[in-house]
Amino acid sequence: MKIRTIIVDDEELARQIVREYLATEEDVEIVTECSNGFDAVKATNEEKPDLLFLDVQMPKLDGFEVLELISEDVAVVFVTAYDQYAMKAFEAAALDYLLKPFDQARFRTALERARRRISERVRTVSASELKNAAKAPGQYAQRIVVKDGTRVHIIPAEQLEYAEAQDDYVALHSGGKSYLKQQTITSLAEALDPARFVRVHRSFLVNLERVTKIEPYTRDTRLAILTSGAQIPVSRTGFVRLKELMDKA
Amino acid sequence: MHPILKSRSGLIAYLAAWIPLGVLFAFVICVAGHLSAMQALVFTVPLTIVMACVCLSAWFVCRSLPLRKTPFGKLIVHHVLAAMLASTVVVVMMNLLVMGMGRFVPPVQYWFHSAVPVLAVMVFLVFLLSVALHYVLLALESSQQAEVLSREAELKALKAQINPHFLFNSLNSISALTSVDPARAREMCVRLSDFLRNSLRLGERASVPFSEELALTRTYLDVEQVRFGQRLRIKQDLEPACNACEVPPLLVQPLVENAIKHGIATLTEGGEIELIARRYRDSLRITVENPFDPDAPATRKTGFGLVNVRNRLQARYGAAGKLDIEVQRDRYRVVLSFPYSEVREKSRKR
Repeated sequence: MKIRTIIVDDEELARQIVREYLATEEDVEIVTECSNGFDAVKATNEEKPDLLFLDVQMPKLDGFEVLELISEDVAVVFVTAYDQYAMKAFEAAALDYLLKPFDQARFRTALERARRRISERVRTVSASELKNAAKAPGQYAQRIVVKDGTRVHIIPAEQLEYAEAQDDYVALHSGGKSYLKQQTITSLAEALDPARFVRVHRSFLVNLERVTKIEPYTRDTRLAILTSGAQIPVSRTGFVRLKELMDKA
Repeated sequence: MHPILKSRSGLIAYLAAWIPLGVLFAFVICVAGHLSAMQALVFTVPLTIVMACVCLSAWFVCRSLPLRKTPFGKLIVHHVLAAMLASTVVVVMMNLLVMGMGRFVPPVQYWFHSAVPVLAVMVFLVFLLSVALHYVLLALESSQQAEVLSREAELKALKAQINPHFLFNSLNSISALTSVDPARAREMCVRLSDFLRNSLRLGERASVPFSEELALTRTYLDVEQVRFGQRLRIKQDLEPACNACEVPPLLVQPLVENAIKHGIATLTEGGEIELIARRYRDSLRITVENPFDPDAPATRKTGFGLVNVRNRLQARYGAAGKLDIEVQRDRYRVVLSFPYSEVREKSRKR
């Protein structure tokens, strides 16, 4: 069976070089090529390829966001020019990446690793953790990407009202709608600016700017009332964190 | 640190300047106090030394009252008070000294009491003179600082200039072209070398004619054109009257680089970069406009190049050098304006 492959890069010449190197690989079939992140997510979900050559900096969605939105069975080889944080993330995840420009020997090594990964069917790294590792110190996610069927939603961080943990998922509430995303609430909290988003409860993360008032609830807990009227439970430690931030602001 | 005390030569020059003043004091004391030259000298040497020290303190007053930022009334009141304090200090110290000397040279003590008003006024005036001197020193110091800052900003700009991302992506394009279109691969090698060579050459100079900066920008665009192909389109509207204006090197190229990185590269279909240069009577205005995707993933180091250009403009032209950013939904516009200057000499190397 052939390894079904998609090449994702916004530059035609960059795709061309991957195509050329793949031409001599008998067991690889190029299914399609994409020039931006949206198309990459769409094509990956429709074509269900085995392997993705993925650029990091692209229009619409960057490589990390694409990784967050595709199935975990796809083996991914990142292809990037110089980016120190991205490289650190790949090294930490022992995921393969090609630094532009690369020669055919280096390309073959990456392809060989991908072959092994495909035959073993394992994915060792969570996309959101990788994304956290790739961010520069002091930089937080400006937006969150969520897949909804074949569509991709982009939620700007400031429009996220609150997030609620639901088993392996988080429910993201924004603009009166709720989106489910496969991510832990802890890794979401790590990605977002801690001066803006507070973990008020084991299962709740709240946008500080949306909190209008805090009311007592039971002896140890309180309720945060948001601008939308939503009532969020606040634990005792959550209240301490909330108060600390509000005093700072 | 006090500018005069910073170097030994400064201190020596300062003390040397007090010798003629000391002679003047001695003369006044001779005439007003009816003393012999020898007696006047005994009195004047300590007086001069005390005053030289007291007048140095004007620096602290001047530093805490910047000339342009302090209201005039406040300035006068503070300096007059400081001068009065200085003159009191000198008179008291001299009084102590004279009391000591009086044991050996009695007429000194007698003379001193009648001369206190003259002495006080003299110290008062000399202190104000010292205030003026210190303001001059402060102005010199801040202009030196501005020079250092502008040089630093330019050095930093040069280091940031050759963006590794740009270089590696260009090399990758060349690598791709070698098999499909060797002639274009070679052409791109030449363009890239032209750009690197010219940016190093221009970067060494303090200023360059606008036309040369434009030529460099075009070489840069030639290289990026190969990478982006049809996605990158350029529209130019450049008044020839701008060509001779002297500008800091690498002023326009970073703006275009920024337009590509944060604009064109975020759009699947690419877009058009508009480059406009207009000459006004005594100023130049450069506009770089590009479309961008407001929903694009946030790229790291956004606008780093722009901050650098703004710092360099301000270091060189002060308030007259401006960089304004206008964002309208999906269009990004950077407007540079700065005084027009033309230098007759062929090269004005620093």
